[in-house]
Amino acid sequence: MTTLVSQFIAQEELTQTVLDEESKREIRRALLHAVCIPGYQVPFGSREMPVARGWGSGGLQITLAVIGENDTVKVIDQGDDEGVNAVNLRRLVTSSTGCEETTEVCEATVIQSRHRIPEDVLTDEHILVLQVPVPEPLRGIERDMRELSRMHAESDYSRMWVSLYEDKVRNGVITQTTGYPCLVNERYVIATTPIPRWDIPRLHNAEFLTLFGAGREKRVYAIPPHTIVEPLTFEDIPFEIEQNEGTQCRLCGSNTSFLVQSPSQEDNWACSDTAWCRARRTQ
Amino acid sequence: MSSILVPDPVVRVQNLGKVYGPFDAATIDRTGSKIGTARDSTSGSIVAAWDVSFDVQPGEALGIVGESGSGKSTVLRCIAGDVSPTTGDIRLANVEDGKVNILDYDAAQRRRLRIDQLSVVYQDPAEGLALGITAGGNIADPLTAAGWRNYSAIRTRAMELLQRTDVPIDRMDDLVRTFSGGMRQRVQIARALANNPGVILLDEPTTGLDASVASGVLDLIRSLLEELNIAAIVVSHDFRVIEMLTERCLVMHHGRIVENTLTDQLLEDPQHPYSQKLIAAART
Amino acid sequence: MESGLCDATLLQVKNVNKSFTLHNIDGRNIHVLHDINFVINAGEHVALAGTSGAGKSTLLRILFQTYSSTSGTILFKLSSGDWVDLTQLSDSEIVALRGREIGYVSQFLRAQPRRSVIDLVTRSGIARGMNNDSARELAQLTLEKLHIAQSLWEVHTSVLSGGEKQRVNIAAGLISPPRLLLLDEPISALDPENRALALELIQELSQSGVAVLAVFHDLDAIEQVSDRIIAMEHGRIVQEGPTKTLLPLLRKGYIDA
Repeated sequence: MTTLVSQFIAQEELTQTVLDEESKREIRRALLHAVCIPGYQVPFGSREMPVARGWGSGGLQITLAVIGENDTVKVIDQGDDEGVNAVNLRRLVTSSTGCEETTEVCEATVIQSRHRIPEDVLTDEHILVLQVPVPEPLRGIERDMRELSRMHAESDYSRMWVSLYEDKVRNGVITQTTGYPCLVNERYVIATTPIPRWDIPRLHNAEFLTLFGAGREKRVYAIPPHTIVEPLTFEDIPFEIEQNEGTQCRLCGSNTSFLVQSPSQEDNWACSDTAWCRARRTQ
Repeated sequence: MSSILVPDPVVRVQNLGKVYGPFDAATIDRTGSKIGTARDSTSGSIVAAWDVSFDVQPGEALGIVGESGSGKSTVLRCIAGDVSPTTGDIRLANVEDGKVNILDYDAAQRRRLRIDQLSVVYQDPAEGLALGITAGGNIADPLTAAGWRNYSAIRTRAMELLQRTDVPIDRMDDLVRTFSGGMRQRVQIARALANNPGVILLDEPTTGLDASVASGVLDLIRSLLEELNIAAIVVSHDFRVIEMLTERCLVMHHGRIVENTLTDQLLEDPQHPYSQKLIAAART
Repeated sequence: MESGLCDATLLQVKNVNKSFTLHNIDGRNIHVLHDINFVINAGEHVALAGTSGAGKSTLLRILFQTYSSTSGTILFKLSSGDWVDLTQLSDSEIVALRGREIGYVSQFLRAQPRRSVIDLVTRSGIARGMNNDSARELAQLTLEKLHIAQSLWEVHTSVLSGGEKQRVNIAAGLISPPRLLLLDEPISALDPENRALALELIQELSQSGVAVLAVFHDLDAIEQVSDRIIAMEHGRIVQEGPTKTLLPLLRKGYIDA
């Protein structure tokens, strides 16, 4: 008898609290703040998650907070649904909330991602949740928390501009690749880590809502739909996305998607977004 | 009866005071030049500056001279916004037409004034510069703070300013840390002028520099002041600096102004006993 | 020709006294000027004569407000025609006057930055209200008149000889001259040839209506350029009259000068 009860309890626990409802509500409140103040980093009480810090615990908390039984989740890591981390996270979400899962963008309602925005068009039905290791764009420039606070509060980003200037002087170009700083709603500067430059223009005036979660740093921020998002650059230095000159995906032949190299293959460029690539091939 | 056209002042300071510690009217009476100390022995409070009032016209350089502890640097820092005065009224002609006391501004507003209204050149260039970035970068800082977003334009302006302050252009992309003291001071001056402020404050601008280097920097400051029609306040204990740069000056002693006069009159015909002592000492 | 008040009067010095109070030496008073009274008219050249220590330089400095007077009034007529009392003006007003209306040329080149000859003279013209180009042109002309070689124009004033410095001083003082010019031994270090050139220029000033009050120790210079002499002794005016009348007396020593 005792065994049955404990088995029953164990089962319940398995399907339950990765994140309790009160915590989810608190996170939603933080997210509401974030949506109301686009680009502003809202602190929240980041919980212990079954993924280690630095592996998407922030993104996971956001997904769990906004997702319900009737939603469908897609999780990608570097554009790939089948990466180990993506699989792990997806299972945690579905098992604890009872929602559906998919690899197809058109079927998903919540998409959690590390490192990419899917190639498919996202609509106002989608929420994009991005995992962020370092939410503070000024991190390399200033350590003091109060000074950082002040700089954001007073919109005093001159030191950021100076570091872009120095970058250009030292290297001939502005070298930041992922995590390129952007000005949101003409007010706050954000770190867009971890997406590549390629995806930055997708954030501007988007149909979909983007939420950023940093578990270790305990911050969330948001870009609501139809928000102005401008990568920081000088007027006379255009923001450039990565160029894949003359390359195309070895699987589907595309030269309009973001391509990555696989070290093991010789002709090794392939689409980063595996689901999109597969869909093209099966048409 | 006078119909001499003297332009309206660019800076008007009235009753500026800074006291460290608790005080009342008696504290003020127990300190000052006549008493011979800025420290009130009863309460231990220090009246670093009291009852300081003066104007600066456009294109004029006003000197504030005194020994260390006189309160001259305190006055400069109160105007700069580095120190919060206890009392006073400071108006700048280019800020809301001189109708607002900038001491009523909050810290953020005061900081904004430092972008393009009021610049400071500190005795130690490290205080006014970021040593870990390039000379050009130090000038890009106030420019971007003022909204400049064109890289070429920023560099052109930085080159202009460095040229004007006799910093070799080929060092524009060197870290300021690699510059000598005199060169650092020139970069600080270039940076201070970036946004054409109406007022510049100079705190012992050549103290600590070798004599020959100092004299070059003084020349530079003098010619810039003449050329730019900027209003300047020059704080120094060195009469050669005051003589070279200013037409009028104040003498401070234990926190109070003891003489407010024409610079050449101070040097040749000082009235106040303390001024006479200072001048006599400087002459020997 | 006794000079009384007239339309051309532009300076009235009335009962001016000067004493120095030496606070740091038992507070004693040193009374250096006693009850000075005189006027100067536009276009006049007045010489201050007297032995050294008579108070001539002191008087010039008081007129320029480098010294403050202890009592008395100094009335000056502005170009607008209004009279002002120099002793009552604010420091800023004095600074403004010095720029345009009252000039002072001393023996010594005052603490100047290491500035080139041409810049120094040009700057003086600009301070007097000229624009950059006209000032520069006029500076060149003036330097030429004083026989300062073009090769010296770009040179820093610090490397000039005493006589050269003095001529540059004069050039700076005379360029776009102010309405009242105070000269304190401006040619003492010049050789005869340059002295003659300088005196010529100074003479020309009267023609443009400039009033000049000058200290020369050289009686020949006084004879050449001055209309009137004010003789001083021990801080007082002892005699005043046309040059023709007083100069012979000075030469003979009938007036200690």
